[in-house]
Amino acid sequence: MGREFSGGRGDTRGGRGGDRGRGAPRGRGAPRGGRGGRFGGAPKAFVVPHPRLAGVFVAKGQQEALVTKNMVPGESVYNEKRISVEDKQTGEKVEYRVWNPFRSKIAAGVIGGVSDIFIKPGAKVLYLGAASGTTVSHVSDIIGSEGVVYAVEFSHRSGRDLVNMAKKRTNIVPIIADARKPLEYRMLVGMVDVVFADVAQPDQARIVGLNSQYFLKKGGHFMISIKANCIDSTNRAEVVFQHEVQRLKDEGLTPQEQLTLEPYERDHAIVIGVYNV
Amino acid sequence: MLILIETPAGFALFQVANTKALNKIDNIYDYLQNEKQAKKLVTPFAFQQFKDTQEALVATSKLINGKIPKKLSKFLEKNVISQEVQDQIAVQDKKLAKQLQEQLGLNCIQTPVTEQLFRGIRSQLTNLIEGLSESELKNMTLGLAHGLSRYKLKFSTEKVDTMIIQAIALLDDLDKEINNYMMRLREWFGWHFPELGKIITDNLIYAKVVKAIGMRIKTSSTDLSGILPENLEADVKQAAEVSFGTEITKEDEKFILCLADQVIELTDYRSQLSEYLKNRMQAIAPNLTTMVGELVGARLISHAGSLVNLAKYPASTIQILGAEKALFKAIRTKHNTPKYGLIFQASLVGSAPAKLKGKVSRTLAAKTALCIRYDALGEGQDAEFGVTNKSFLEKRVHQLEEGVNYRDVKAPQRGKAKPVQSQTQYQEEADFQPQGATWMQKFQKGEDKRQASQDIVQRTQQKKVKQQ
Repeated sequence: MGREFSGGRGDTRGGRGGDRGRGAPRGRGAPRGGRGGRFGGAPKAFVVPHPRLAGVFVAKGQQEALVTKNMVPGESVYNEKRISVEDKQTGEKVEYRVWNPFRSKIAAGVIGGVSDIFIKPGAKVLYLGAASGTTVSHVSDIIGSEGVVYAVEFSHRSGRDLVNMAKKRTNIVPIIADARKPLEYRMLVGMVDVVFADVAQPDQARIVGLNSQYFLKKGGHFMISIKANCIDSTNRAEVVFQHEVQRLKDEGLTPQEQLTLEPYERDHAIVIGVYNV
Repeated sequence: MLILIETPAGFALFQVANTKALNKIDNIYDYLQNEKQAKKLVTPFAFQQFKDTQEALVATSKLINGKIPKKLSKFLEKNVISQEVQDQIAVQDKKLAKQLQEQLGLNCIQTPVTEQLFRGIRSQLTNLIEGLSESELKNMTLGLAHGLSRYKLKFSTEKVDTMIIQAIALLDDLDKEINNYMMRLREWFGWHFPELGKIITDNLIYAKVVKAIGMRIKTSSTDLSGILPENLEADVKQAAEVSFGTEITKEDEKFILCLADQVIELTDYRSQLSEYLKNRMQAIAPNLTTMVGELVGARLISHAGSLVNLAKYPASTIQILGAEKALFKAIRTKHNTPKYGLIFQASLVGSAPAKLKGKVSRTLAAKTALCIRYDALGEGQDAEFGVTNKSFLEKRVHQLEEGVNYRDVKAPQRGKAKPVQSQTQYQEEADFQPQGATWMQKFQKGEDKRQASQDIVQRTQQKKVKQQ
């Protein structure tokens, strides 16, 4: 996965303009999709399902990578590499998108060895802090056409990218609203199975608690990415995580698993738990 | 007790007939998971469906802003007020509850019990509302969500760059198609009247003439004054008399005329499309249009994929956009990289002398990058910025043509490196000191001690005076 960027001198294939420059302009989708093709230069890569997590796959070839099955074959969302594998039995071509753990907290958690992310095919997910939708697209791949992901993002710039991506994936419901006020989007969201929060706010425990109170079903799970610097930059990371876990318990969220995201992120942790009201 | 729930499909009122039974239940959420129990406890009272996404959008946007939409007030009036139902209404939003109380005089409540009820009902929505299936609800949610997002992002139909990309692609396609059809028409009709092709060089006029005359025999009787100038008309009529082309049937003529019609229509459409593209470019990226022109601007946007993507590129990339093949080849073989890509077609670069095209292309790319960013990310809708930059560029081209270099204009005398003194030049210490020297500065100079000692001397002198 370290071989993400291969432009510059001496390398033709990875070049920025490689595919784009030739031929007639092909509109919006094309430039992003230009760099697809063979993964890592290996002759053949094969894809196996992840041993524990449904909907997630591992590509084995020259290098191992975490991949998800592309819901919109032929298109890259954020210029990530795509792997095309032919199914020997049916002869169908299936496309997978590489999931970068440096850019996505959930991928970092999965590779770090979390026991379960609870985002599986058919799940309903509430995603707080969707940004431009890079991780949301992978969640959408995992849950498939049966599931729904409600992506909440407050920023207008990122929101534009999110909405454009959601036009192609019908299981994403884009919501441009403040996650602190879940009542403002109550008419768009149903009850969900999983709440994922990557909001990087000091009061994120309260935000998650509030959203869970309205939308998370009983026995549903939550996954929070905690950035120590953001909550309290004076204390050590471990202390901050401890305080956050305590605050989560106060909101009625029972943490079950905590995992740091080293080496992909510094002073970050992911906390997974269950909601029992 | 009534329960008001807002869904993407419409407004719904549920009635809890037996409030006593409600209070006896330990866990309302679990109770409501069972469909039969849920239907017994919570009965649908009224449901007002939104007719279409537009209606849903208007109602929801009002709700978000804390106001009561007309639909909701009518719904409540019809079902609660006019029916004189005295029940309390459970509402999820405190602000909405207050508004309802003030404006419609309804008794609204909010308790932990109602919160649990809302959770339960939300999970059982499709079971409780008749005629609402999961897929329907999902479609309406999607429609409403996208509509709301567009409303919040202040989506302006004027500023969609997809139109530009599609239009320029279509323009290129049309050019190819028209050329193809024209060649075919010439070949086909040339079988019957070969001389016409040699006389008339312009494609569109050829097609119009073919449409007017049809068969060679009719040439002398048709009036071509509207299409051709007089001398050409005379030539055509003369050539028709002595032509050695073969005869064609009526049916052949019909099909040839059809083709000629197509060509004329397409050419007309192409010129309309060109106008449309010009207008759109002016609306979407006025500064870019001023700098390089509509066609080059549209091609740049199309190449990058979107205006925002184009704005992210550095000026050096904009300079060689479109020449990627040459660029990477040169990098690989360690040769000189190309000096211009699509920018070469801009009028400023085209009109510059050959030796200066490289420099002009570089300067143009630099200023164009600024204009693109202004258009894509700025709030203004004017072309002033572009006009200023263009005049700068014209001045620069003029300078270059006269052989003036920046180095000669501003360099100080060689050998005697004298710094340029100006009135606003920063002078070491004076600039840092405020009006009166601070204590700190005095301390550093030992002045405060002198002052302190002077103060002491003064005070002792005053004391002496007093004592005396």
